[in-house]
Amino acid sequence: MNKGEQEAYKRDYALAKAQGKPFFPYAVYKDLVVATFAIGFVIFLAIWAPIPVGEPVNPATTDFVPRPEWYFFFLFELLKIFKNENALTPVIMATFIVPNVLMVLLLITPFIDRGPERRIWRRPIALTSGVMVIFFLGYLTHLGAESPGAETGIELENLTPEAEAGLELYLANGCTACHAIKDVGAPGPGPNLTNEGEKGRTIQWQIDHLIDPRSTTPGSTMPAYPNFTDQEYQELAVFLNGLGTEFR
Amino acid sequence: MSTQDIETQTPSPDGEGAAVGAEDIAPKGAMKGAIEKTGDYVDERSGLVTGHKWFLFRNVPGETSWFQTLGFTAMALFGLQAITGIVLAMYYKPDPNTAFQSIQFITNDATWGSLVRGMHRWGASAMIVVVFLHMARVFFWGAYKYPRELTWVTGVILMFMTMFMGLTGYLLVWDQKAYWATVVAVNITASAPVLGPFVADILRAGPEFGPNTLSRFYAIHMLVIPGGIATFIALHLLLITKLGIAEPPWAKRRFRAAREEEAERERMRARTPAGREPVPASPSFEPPQSWPSKDVS
Repeated sequence: MNKGEQEAYKRDYALAKAQGKPFFPYAVYKDLVVATFAIGFVIFLAIWAPIPVGEPVNPATTDFVPRPEWYFFFLFELLKIFKNENALTPVIMATFIVPNVLMVLLLITPFIDRGPERRIWRRPIALTSGVMVIFFLGYLTHLGAESPGAETGIELENLTPEAEAGLELYLANGCTACHAIKDVGAPGPGPNLTNEGEKGRTIQWQIDHLIDPRSTTPGSTMPAYPNFTDQEYQELAVFLNGLGTEFR
Repeated sequence: MSTQDIETQTPSPDGEGAAVGAEDIAPKGAMKGAIEKTGDYVDERSGLVTGHKWFLFRNVPGETSWFQTLGFTAMALFGLQAITGIVLAMYYKPDPNTAFQSIQFITNDATWGSLVRGMHRWGASAMIVVVFLHMARVFFWGAYKYPRELTWVTGVILMFMTMFMGLTGYLLVWDQKAYWATVVAVNITASAPVLGPFVADILRAGPEFGPNTLSRFYAIHMLVIPGGIATFIALHLLLITKLGIAEPPWAKRRFRAAREEEAERERMRARTPAGREPVPASPSFEPPQSWPSKDVS
């Protein structure tokens, strides 16, 4: 808006106000109706769907499915889209670049869109971008709401007894909440492990990665698993390192 | 009883008895007089009563919409979160050994505890929904445009703080799902370049998730962000009352004004300059379809 358009708006708004109604009671009455309804709805939900008490925290057992509140599902889904499988989709896109770019764009919206037009049907770019953002947020939230269930079995051949034990540990410790092997388990945020063995890593690398993921993979968002026994680490590492090569 | 007598009974504070209306000099009940005197006393020293009257009875555009109640609703829900949050804080213990038990106590034993906790949890979701709807309304109305750019900026900051409230509050229930979700969330923070690891260390109160993490999240959730939200609500409101609430872009008044402007231009075109023929209307000019033309004079 140039200076003239700004002045025209101010003059027009002063007219609108002069021909308007007093804030109390006209606007206050509408505000109170909607706010009372909203608070009533919250009380209704609190009675109708009480919040249960979950399982107490136990950092030693890891049979969990890390789920954020529903309004963070879209960020969670972004993590699944960008999961470090190739150079074009690094995790940092989902954890840092995309959210921050969106945040900055949102903050500076009034300084990008400075035209005098306020009617949305005359603002095609604003209409399209607004509808698209709402659509994608809704879509990602919907995807995130489809909770990955606990998996019971993965069909793999040639498993040694040691790898068999590793598979049991893999299933029992909620790894399927973030990783998939042969289409079993969530498609993200963690990488697909079907061909983990082909990456040429050592058993020791796998163990170090389990104890502290960021020591071997900087920037990893995987939680650390420091509470297995030496034997359990060995079993898991053998299982993981053979995926796609020995065990298919 | 003469007017003089009444004035000596209830002297007006500024002594301008002659200028006061008829009902003002009628005898008053002791209660009413005391309230009025208190009001005058406060107003003389703070301007609060006058300010309040200005706030309540200032004009807003006549065609304000129901969509424009969402901002107030978000603020009301924040108030609800504050009240239920204070009640919960009276029973909650931010300590890894007792946090979960205190949640159990609130939910199962405390009088109406389950209701208050449910209201706080559902209220958080409701607040997110209402804040998003409010933002969508402002966006689609173009209400963030001149002169309300800074109102939008403070509003976006309020939305970020609301979401951060959700993140920090989620850990406080100290159950498996919340704990591990927060571990992942903090790991995500740590993976950000340059500042990420530092911010993650600040959130975790150290390099690992530990007992101090919970009390740190508690302090952030209880003190830091609510303080920030309250400050920014005050700024947001200050800007809104200063600039006035936007008129709906489809207000009938706006269309009427546009029609009048066009009619005025039409008259200017038809005006006869001295000694000349009227300028003929351009054959290519067509009045826009969207303006109802019956009122054009």
